[in-house]
Amino acid sequence: MAASWITPPTRTELIENLVSGVDRYNPSNVGILEDYLYHQIRSQEYDCLANLAILKLYQFNPDLYNPDVVINILIKALGASPLPDFNLCISLLDERPPNASLDEPDPLPVLLPVLHGLHHLLYRCRFPAFWRAYRSDQLESLRDNYTVECAGFEDSIREVVIRAVKSTFTRIGTDRLGLYLDSDSPEELKSYIDKLGWTLNSEGTVVNIPANLDNQIEAVVVQESIKLPQLTKVIAQAARS
Amino acid sequence: MSRPTLWSTADMDDDLADAVDAELSMYAQQGQNPAIYDQLGAQIEQLEPLLAIQQHMAALAAVPDVVKSFIVSFHQAILNRDLPSVTIFYTTTFPKLTDRFYSRAEWPEPEIIAPLLSSNNATEDQVHIFLVLYRDLYYRHVYSRLQPNIDDRFHSYENSCELFNYLLNSPSSANDESDEPAPVDLVLPEQWLWDIIDEFIYQFQVFCSWRSKVKSKTDDELMMLADGTGVWSSYSVLNVLYSLIQKSKINEYIVALKEEQGKENSRPAEEVAQSISPYTALPLYRTLGYFSVLGLLRVHVLLGDFTLGLKVMDQVGEFLLGGSSFGAKTNKSSFTALPTLPATHISTHYYVGFCYMMLRRYPDAIRTFVTVLNFFQRMQRMRNYSGYERKDQYDQIAKTADRTLALYAMCHSLVLPGSPFTRLDDNITNTAKERYGDQMGRMSRGGSDALVAFEELFLYACPKFINANSPPYDDPEAIALLLNADPADVAEGSSPIPTDPTHRHLRLFLASAGAQSPLPTLRSFLHLYTSLTTEKLSSFLDLVKVNESDKEAVEDAEAEEEAIQEMMVLKQSSKSLSRIVPVQGKVDKGNDASSAGVRAQGSLLAGEMISTSDLNFAIDDVRSIKSE
Repeated sequence: MAASWITPPTRTELIENLVSGVDRYNPSNVGILEDYLYHQIRSQEYDCLANLAILKLYQFNPDLYNPDVVINILIKALGASPLPDFNLCISLLDERPPNASLDEPDPLPVLLPVLHGLHHLLYRCRFPAFWRAYRSDQLESLRDNYTVECAGFEDSIREVVIRAVKSTFTRIGTDRLGLYLDSDSPEELKSYIDKLGWTLNSEGTVVNIPANLDNQIEAVVVQESIKLPQLTKVIAQAARS
Repeated sequence: MSRPTLWSTADMDDDLADAVDAELSMYAQQGQNPAIYDQLGAQIEQLEPLLAIQQHMAALAAVPDVVKSFIVSFHQAILNRDLPSVTIFYTTTFPKLTDRFYSRAEWPEPEIIAPLLSSNNATEDQVHIFLVLYRDLYYRHVYSRLQPNIDDRFHSYENSCELFNYLLNSPSSANDESDEPAPVDLVLPEQWLWDIIDEFIYQFQVFCSWRSKVKSKTDDELMMLADGTGVWSSYSVLNVLYSLIQKSKINEYIVALKEEQGKENSRPAEEVAQSISPYTALPLYRTLGYFSVLGLLRVHVLLGDFTLGLKVMDQVGEFLLGGSSFGAKTNKSSFTALPTLPATHISTHYYVGFCYMMLRRYPDAIRTFVTVLNFFQRMQRMRNYSGYERKDQYDQIAKTADRTLALYAMCHSLVLPGSPFTRLDDNITNTAKERYGDQMGRMSRGGSDALVAFEELFLYACPKFINANSPPYDDPEAIALLLNADPADVAEGSSPIPTDPTHRHLRLFLASAGAQSPLPTLRSFLHLYTSLTTEKLSSFLDLVKVNESDKEAVEDAEAEEEAIQEMMVLKQSSKSLSRIVPVQGKVDKGNDASSAGVRAQGSLLAGEMISTSDLNFAIDDVRSIKSE
């Protein structure tokens, strides 16, 4: 699982060389990485390490800074919860001296606490609260300017929800699931459930979640088999004294 | 004619200026006549360099004889490539002399001792290199015992650059006609090489934190900083480390060794090294390359890039941190001809463990910390038998070990007590409880107390993060803005996200830890039952909540929802990416077909999700929770 996070199959060789080599520090390569980010946004792909490379270039070259890129990276990272991607991105956002090189006022200081809040809600699995906050008037600018461009943003959040639900529940009520997934209508919810391959019970009120590693209850029995040769040293020592 | 005060010449107007001239000429006249004053001035100018030499010679005479002979023999040993003597001089004699004569002062400046070196039949180049090495020791002493001023900082940077330039770009000898740089013919003890890299990064870090304090700079310093933007820049530090790694081809070397290990008649390590490049063949470069990888890990952590830190350790990490059979059988250092110093061991494990901790991979972090803390405890015991000569070095190692223990205490509280694969080492846990018992108690109970304890330990144990960029000294307007920023204004307009890197990372860590703070209580309730309704559970949790807040009755549905969401968090926290993955054994007809055990992934970033909790539960949403 981590292997695909380190090297997503959708990453091209060009990007791979950039991310893994010394060229990632070359400021003139920032354009390539930014284009790759926009590709990720349009085609619902995600490559955490490449995005971190962009943030690192911004860290070393403050004049390359582009707030829209940063916000888009953070939005993409929201969909990776509960992995620590969002935190990793924030770790790379250094203090910047007040500069006048931007044409418009920097939207990041306003949006950053908002994104922080959203991430926190997701990490603590407060899904209804997340959707309420996301749909609120306050976040209108976020929705209109950024998340609308990010293809499948809401779906990626729904995937976060599904990951959490799948591991915790064996069966879940449809209203609850609908609340978590922020689905507008029962038909939408049903089509989503069908897409996942989950089944409903006869009355259509409870969804059955297939058995997976996490939601099966079994006592973990640990058996350690220690072979005699492994004990020779200890026994010899004891015999001597 | 009033006497003008000499120190307010700034507002002197012409009358007073004339008056001063008149005064001076009066004094000159008192001597002889005005012309002589001019003559004296000219003579003084001519004499200045001679004066300087005289001053140097006086200073040289003031240097104790012991020190003089030490310097001469030290130089001779380096010229003769006599590694044992150099090692003794470096590790024992130098610290002794420092304690005896220079515990509060600087060593004699390089210019002063230069005349001593001409007696050794050395070429000018060799003398020059010795002075570069001497300066390295000189500045290290200044940084550790005294306060470096801005000149010291700039000069030490230049000296380091010169040293690395010499190592990386020395022109080849006259015999070889190519223009390629050739490896230099120098042998230095491993401890010194580690100290060079370590000190380089330390001076960088200290400079960055000093540089970011804009308000305490004098005007002179502001000017110097405005001109010297290239000094101690992140790019140049990274450049040095990457160049050393590339020149010595250390990663290729380790890969080749790994391949070699599997073969029948494996070649000895030195032969493998020879086959890769002339640089790799020399222990000097191999060692420097290896230490540069570790240095790079440290720099990346200081700049806040944890994944990249682990990524650069790809090859080296497997060798150093184990989990594979590579190099496990034989004594690691003899097998791979790579040095293993206690300082590097502890420092590396500290940084790797810290990266894992910030990546929320607590089992991996704990394993790393336990390895090194065991190593340190053994070292402590041995110390009583064989005295360590370098007390200051031991102190530094001890301090790092203490911080590692604090990090271990934090991870201990964050990993919900659990599965055998994260079984925590009792020995180390006891040590941690002795030292940090109070904080550990607070942290495991959860709640807001826990966050305070986490904050204390984090601030104590974290690396000293730095800002990659300097404040804009070369832009006078921007600097003026920063200097004149009224604290009240700053507080109003600034975002709640702190900009100081340490606090930024602290805040991220506390958010993760805080999300887990209600979990111990929840877990203990789940432990009590095999099957439990959410209403019951939420009423238990309500009990806790009603005590904290003043609400009369929390809405049932809300409370239940809250409880369910917490359980999802609990489930989420019970899984973690881990590099060492347990493997199920298979039993076939009563014999073990394949043994159970652990399997280690390759690079440090790799891993699979494992469960870290012994409590398994699932929610069946017909109003009941089953747990086991």
